[in-house]
Formats: sequence, C-alpha cells, structure tokens
Amino acid sequence: MPALDIPFFGTLVLSLILVSASYTMAVAMGAGQGRPHLLPSARWGTYATCALVLVAILVLAYAFQVHDFRIRYVARYSDRSMPWWYLITSLWGGQDGSLLWWSFLLSGYTFFAVRWLRGRYTELQPWVIATLMSILIFFAILMLFAANPFATYIRTTPGDGEGLNPLLQNYWMAIHPPVLYMGFVGWSVPFAILVAAMVTGRLGNEWVRAARLWSMIAWTFLSIGLLLGCLWSYEELGWGGYWAWDPVENASFMPWLVGTAYLHSVLIQERRQMMKVWNVFLLFLTFFLTIFGTFLTRSGLIASVHSFARSDIGQYFVWYMAFLLIAIAALMIWRLPKLKADNEIESLVSREFAFLLNNWVLLGMMVFVLIATTFPLLSQWVRGEEVTVGPGFYNKWMVPLGIVLLFLAGLGPLVAWRKATGSKLLRAMAFPVGVGLAVAVLQALFGARLGYPPVVEPTEIYDTATGTVLAWMSAIAPGVSFATCAFVLASVGQEFWRGVRVRMRKGEGAGTALVNLMSKGRRRYGGYIVHIGVVFMFIGFTGAAYDVEQESALRPGETMDIGKHTVRYDQPRMETDPNKRMIFTDMTLLDESGNEDGQVAPGKFIYRTHPQMPTTEVAIRSRPAEDVYVIMSTVDPSTQRGTFRIIIRPLVAWIWFGGIVLLFGALLGMWPTGRELLRDEAPRSRRFRFSPATAVVGFAILLATMIAWVGVASAQNDSSSSLHAGSVVINDPVERQLFGRLLCQCGDCARLPLDTCACGWADDKRIEVRERLAAGEEPTKIQESYRAQYGAAALAIPSDEGLDRALWAVPIAAMALAVGFIVLLGRRWQRRGVAPRASTASDTSEKIEYDSRLDAELDRLEES
Amino acid sequence: MAEYLPWLFVIGASLAVVVALISLWLSLSLALSDELLGGARAQLTTDVRRDLLTEKENLLQEIRDIAFEHDADKLSDSDYEEINAKLRAQARHVLHELDVGAGPFREEAEALIAERLSDEG
Repeated sequence: MPALDIPFFGTLVLSLILVSASYTMAVAMGAGQGRPHLLPSARWGTYATCALVLVAILVLAYAFQVHDFRIRYVARYSDRSMPWWYLITSLWGGQDGSLLWWSFLLSGYTFFAVRWLRGRYTELQPWVIATLMSILIFFAILMLFAANPFATYIRTTPGDGEGLNPLLQNYWMAIHPPVLYMGFVGWSVPFAILVAAMVTGRLGNEWVRAARLWSMIAWTFLSIGLLLGCLWSYEELGWGGYWAWDPVENASFMPWLVGTAYLHSVLIQERRQMMKVWNVFLLFLTFFLTIFGTFLTRSGLIASVHSFARSDIGQYFVWYMAFLLIAIAALMIWRLPKLKADNEIESLVSREFAFLLNNWVLLGMMVFVLIATTFPLLSQWVRGEEVTVGPGFYNKWMVPLGIVLLFLAGLGPLVAWRKATGSKLLRAMAFPVGVGLAVAVLQALFGARLGYPPVVEPTEIYDTATGTVLAWMSAIAPGVSFATCAFVLASVGQEFWRGVRVRMRKGEGAGTALVNLMSKGRRRYGGYIVHIGVVFMFIGFTGAAYDVEQESALRPGETMDIGKHTVRYDQPRMETDPNKRMIFTDMTLLDESGNEDGQVAPGKFIYRTHPQMPTTEVAIRSRPAEDVYVIMSTVDPSTQRGTFRIIIRPLVAWIWFGGIVLLFGALLGMWPTGRELLRDEAPRSRRFRFSPATAVVGFAILLATMIAWVGVASAQNDSSSSLHAGSVVINDPVERQLFGRLLCQCGDCARLPLDTCACGWADDKRIEVRERLAAGEEPTKIQESYRAQYGAAALAIPSDEGLDRALWAVPIAAMALAVGFIVLLGRRWQRRGVAPRASTASDTSEKIEYDSRLDAELDRLEES
Repeated sequence: MAEYLPWLFVIGASLAVVVALISLWLSLSLALSDELLGGARAQLTTDVRRDLLTEKENLLQEIRDIAFEHDADKLSDSDYEEINAKLRAQARHVLHELDVGAGPFREEAEALIAERLSDEG
C-alpha cells in the first residue's frame, strides 16, 4: 500500500461506494417491482457496498497511523506525537472523518440487517435494502462533493499535523461518539423497514415485529451514548455539571424522547392493532430528528461547544430533509386508508391510555426542546434579533415535565391492559402511594438535618408571575421528585412481588418463580428494570438541587473547609510525556476528625500542539452519597500558591449506576426467547446464521468491548480536562440569579453564563456588576443595561414578553390542546365501544374443539 | 502495537477489496441471469396465512396476559370474564380462518402422501 497514492485511492473508493450503492438501490427497487430474481443480486450488491465502506475507513485509519499529512483531514486532526489509540479516535474527531465514520456504522447496520432479513420478511427486503442504500448514497454524495476526508492540500504538505483538539483526547471521547452514533444510525434500520411496509402496503404487525429488535438496539445505544456524553461533560468540560442543554445535546435528546414514545406506543399496536398512524409518525419523526440533529451539529448554524466549523454541508442536509419530509408525507397520505385501527380503547383507565399520556409528555418535552433549540434561529429570521436560550430556561420547564413522566412510569405498570377495574387499581396504588407519602413525610422531618431539605431556595428566571410560579415549582421539585422516585420503585417492586406470588401459587419456590417470571416476560420485566434505572438517574438529577461550591487560594499545607470536608493542598508537581506537559496539585481530603479520607490531584495539561489552550484536569472523589469535584484554577510556579474551586455534588453517582441498570434491563428485554435460540440451532447447526439471538449476543459483546476499551484507555490516561473550568466566586443568591442570566461576551465562551465562565472578561464583568449591586442598583436594571449594551443574545434567557413569550407559550398551548384531544378521542372511542368479531365457529362442539386447541396452544406458550 | 497497526489496516483493506469485488461479481451475474435462488418467487407471494398466524400469536399472548393480570389482582372476575370471552371469540375466529385457508394445502399434502405410499406399495 505505501506505493499507492492514498488520497487518490480513498477518493476512488468513495466514488465506488456511490456507484455501488446506486446500483444496489436500483436492483433492489427492481426486485420490489415484480422481479424477484433481482433480490439475491441486491443482497450481494449490499455486501459489496458495505465492504467498500470498510475499505474507505481502513484506508483513512492507515493514513492516520502513517501520518500521511498530504490528507488535509489527517493533518488537521492528528500529529506525530499522538499515541495510536488517539489516532484511531481522530477518525471521528472532525467533520469529514465523522461523516465517513457515520457511513461505516450505517454499512455495519445494513450488513447485519440484510443478513438477518434473509429468509424472513421477503416482501419487505427489497425496499429495506433500497432505503438503506438511499441513506448511504446521501452520505457518499456529502463526502465526495462537500466534505471529502481524503482531500489534499493544494500547495505544500505540512511536516506535522495540528493535533487533535485536547478536549477530545479523553477516554470518554473515545467511546461516547461511537456509541451515540450507533444510536443515531441505528434508527435507519427500523426506518427502512417502515418505508418498506409503507411501499408494499403490508401495514399489519409484520413491520412492527421486524423493527422491534432494531429499534431496541438503537434506543439502547442512544440512551447509553447520551449518558456517556454526560460523563464526558462532567469529567472533561470541568464546569461541574453533566448536561448543559447545549443545542447538540438537545439534538441527541430529541430523537431519544420520540424513540421512547414510539417504543411505548408500538406495544399498543402489537397487542391491539391500534394507533398505526401514530406509530408510523413517531418512527418517521425519530429518524428525521436523527438527521436534523446531525444537521444542527454539522452546519454550525447554532452556537455550541460541540459544533464543527461552519461549512457548506448544511445545504445538503436541508435538501435531504426536505426530500425526507415530502417522501414521508406522501407515503403517509397514500397509505392512510390502510392505517386504520382494528380496535378501539375500551376504557380511559387502561394501560393503553397510560401509554397515550406517556406519549403526550414525551412529545411535549420534545416540542419544548425543539422550539427552545431553534428559537435563536427563528428570532433571527422573524425579527432580525439574536437571542440565546440558556440552561436556566430548560431546567425550569423540563423538571416538572420530567417528574410527571416519572410518575407515569410508576403508574403504568399498575394499570391493566384494555380495562382496569377501578377498585382494584385503587388497591394496587395504595402501597406505592403510601411509600411515596412516607418518603415525603420523612424528608420533611429529617431532610434538612441530613442535607436534603424537600424545599430549596426559589430562583426566578423571569421577573413576572410566570417566573414566580416556575421558581416555586423548582423549589419544591426536590421533595416531589424523591417522593415520586419512591412511588415508582414501590410500584415496580410490587409488580415483581405480585408476579412472583402468582407463580408461587402454582407451586414454584420464590427464587424459581422470580427467574421464571423474568425469563417468560423478558420485555415486560426488562422494561420495568429500565424504569428502575431511570428512577436511580432521577435520584442523581435531584441531587443537583443540593450542590455546594466554594473557592479558595491556598499555599501548600493550607486547608479549606466545604460541607463536611476539609481539603488540604499538599504540593504541586510536574510530569511530561511526548504529547504534553502536566501540572498536578496533590491534595488530601480529611474527614471531620481530621483523618485522611483520600487523595485527589487536579491539574492542568499543556499540549504541545495547542499551547494556547491549557486544559484544566478535574479530580473527582466519587461516593454514593456525594462527589467531591476539585478544579485547580491557577497555580503560581514561583510561590506554589494555587486557586481551587471545589464543588460537593450529592448523589451524582446514582446517575451512572442508573445507566448500568437501564442497560441491563434493555438487554433483558431484547434477549431472545428459547424458541428463537432453538430456531438458530435446529436447521443448520454447523453454519453461522444471523438471528435475533446473534444480534443481541453481538450487541452485548460490542458493549462489553467498548467498556473494556474505556478501561484500557482510562488506565492509559486517568484524567479529565477542561478549557473553561476556572474560578467563579458567587457570594449570595442575588448574585447567583443575576450572573446566571448574563452571558459572557468575550467572544470565545459561547453560551457560558457569568456564574460559570472563568475567563478574564467574565471576572472583570462580575467585579463591575458587584459594584453596581453594592451601590444599590436593582438586578433588573443591571440586566436591562446589559441587554442594551450587548444585545438580547447576551442574556441567557429571553424575556417573558412579546415574541419571546412564544418560547414557552407555544409548547404549553400545544400540550394543552393535545391533552384535550387525547381525552376527547378516548371518550369517543369508549362511546363507540368495541364490536368483537363474531366467532365463525358457531356450532357448540366446534367451539369446544377450538377452545381445547386454544388451551393447548396456551400451554405451549407457557412452556416456551 | 503501533508498528503493526498500519499493516493490520492494509491487510484488512485488501481483504475488504476482495470481498467487495466477489460480491459485486455475484450481484451482477445474478442480476443478468433470470434464475431464481432459494425459491424467491414463492416467498414473494402475499401470505395471508402468515398474518393470521401472527394474529393468533398476539391473541394467545393477550389471553395469557389477561389471565396473569386477573391472578395478580388487577382485574375483577367480571371484567376478566368479559375480556377473556372477547379474546377467545377472536382467537376461535382466527383458528377457523386458518383451518379454512389450510384446506387446499392439506388436500395437496394428503394426495402427495397417498401417491408416495402407493409408489412404495
């Protein structure tokens, strides 16, 4: 290969991908239009296309390893000092390479999906292949004409590369983007299956079954990818939080919300053949949002810490999204008559209706996030004024909605399918509600003493009645959240107990009953375990209400007190490697009796290729009750005096633990049944055959490998870094509220409010604002003058007047309308009633015969 | 590791090129021939029976779940009986449809068996 012109060869392979995918798409469409002999040909065409994408990614990986700096992308995102593992992560470290990485993952999914489809869902296959190829064609066009990862420099080739952004040289960054991409790209397969069902008109349960495993895989990857993103933000960005409602975070969160709604509502279709249009809409929307999210990330239209450079590829995405919208709308209109429900909801007190409410909250949250994320653009277009929607806005509105969603996660399992008996439901709710109330009372009595009061200090984002209502809602949120968590845990626990009791009545022991219960109802109990994981995560989120932070300047040997801890600064030290200089400050944590309780070493890294961007390495001592999060802001080499910011973050570890539980629940839900495993072995025991069993096992192995990779990577580089972490002193609640509303205007710190940003400009501005407050100036006046001086975009939260009010009024109105519509629809369904299809077996002896056959089938089902 | 990695990528890429070429060759030769592999034409026919079997599986699942929810004390006896009766009526209907649909296949199978038996004497 060294004799080969790598840039030329890479571009040639990209062209071949385009040709091969187009050819395969044409052949597959031919197969779908009455020429079945073309189907095997389309299958082999798919394998060829996937192999070509593999060639492209391996060639780029090779170019990184041999430092082929003729290739612009290699020169921009690597340098000679980088270790091999970061040379691999550079593949997705920049725009062009990440598009190739995206295509690679898509081709992987395509290969496995087409292998899996062999011998099943034959009518859908041609259109699944054609749809997947069409997506690959789009990415091939993007790479060839707008973002070629093999493009070369026009004139001279640099002797060394610019190096990967230091923020990306972190083990979480090695795993977070691939997992998140797996989640994004994974939705292509269920989308393709749906398109195939729409084109062929096979809109019964067939496509739902075919898409089930793939949507579960995509959802699980997306969930874990989002969590890993939180971990990266927490450890890497070093501002002390894990979620900043950054547009790119929102772009990943939106498909997750809609995908979650789909996974719930599709259960209704599977059981009752209802809500077909709705499920089609949700799955289309989920896929569309993955493309929209990629567009937001890539176009650079909205300011974000994650954004790639502003580029031309945005227009390609706009055209593709327009095409998708038109195609989806046309398919839906065409197939509307075939999407009529076969049944109706029998009662508003039923699992089906609980799922409808769950969909309502999830979609409501999505609309909130969508409008808030795109509001800066809308404002710019409509009135020519730039605005910013900061985390404060999201936190205030999303917390109550999140708690409602959590409550529904506990309520749903208690309600029976079709029609719950009112008295039985009340009896089922008694224990979980009792546990929730008991936790609320205990927290009211002892919470403040333990550091977890049920009500925290209210902070207003608006100086209006809306602001006051929101402030009080967020003030009581910790108490309500803990009580709701207890309610959900008790509800799920009760479901397990009831299930075990039913089996024990049949003569099984408690342990056997629990194992059988879970193995025979994997989806149901896997889902419940996912709910438990979500509860643990909510416990962690709620802990954010009790954060304590403090900053001090210390000399070696001096201590600072925070919460129950005392932290002693021991000494600074320096280490070097070929890539960077590392300055650490050794610190010792002391308990209340003065005994040593652990060591931490926050630091700063100065990378050879980015000396102007020293990164701040946070040190975290994590315990179930709280994390001690230490940031070294500065250290003076001559006096060894350091400035440190320490944050006590209660309960954060529960978020990560919840993620592990969620993963376990998802895997249990996906795990194949005994029949599926047997079907794997029976016909061709010696040959490898792809099936749900191999898919799930492969998925588990992949995740385990990724986790192992994190272990290896973390052993090689056990630290975290930040470009923005620094020293921010907040003296009182008035300052916190005001600084939280004002954004840094230095030009480099996009979206960082003054209560977080540690740059020099922000320091000076805080001093100025403090002086004005001390002089008796009202915070609202200071805010107004800041807006007048720097424009509306300088405020973290738009005002609560005029068009700005649409930011919350539109989603609230949409949700109110939707809930009215849901209730009306439910009532209409109920009035109409259900007309069961008359049994054709009218003869009594025939009826008895069918009943005995049904009983035999039920026994078979129980034993499987 | 760092020294071997580029060569691993080279070998991987070369193998992938070979796979791509073979797959393309197979695809083109299959597209140009009119031969049916694996009974594709038979599989491409609309399968009403498969839909009925899916419906049957769903109904069985529902009947089992409703019984479980009744045993778990979520449904009163009267509600359970009402829903169970509806589901069983639907399931009987599906079984009947399956039997009717299976008629021609059964006759064909019986004829084939009879033919085979008579051949074997």
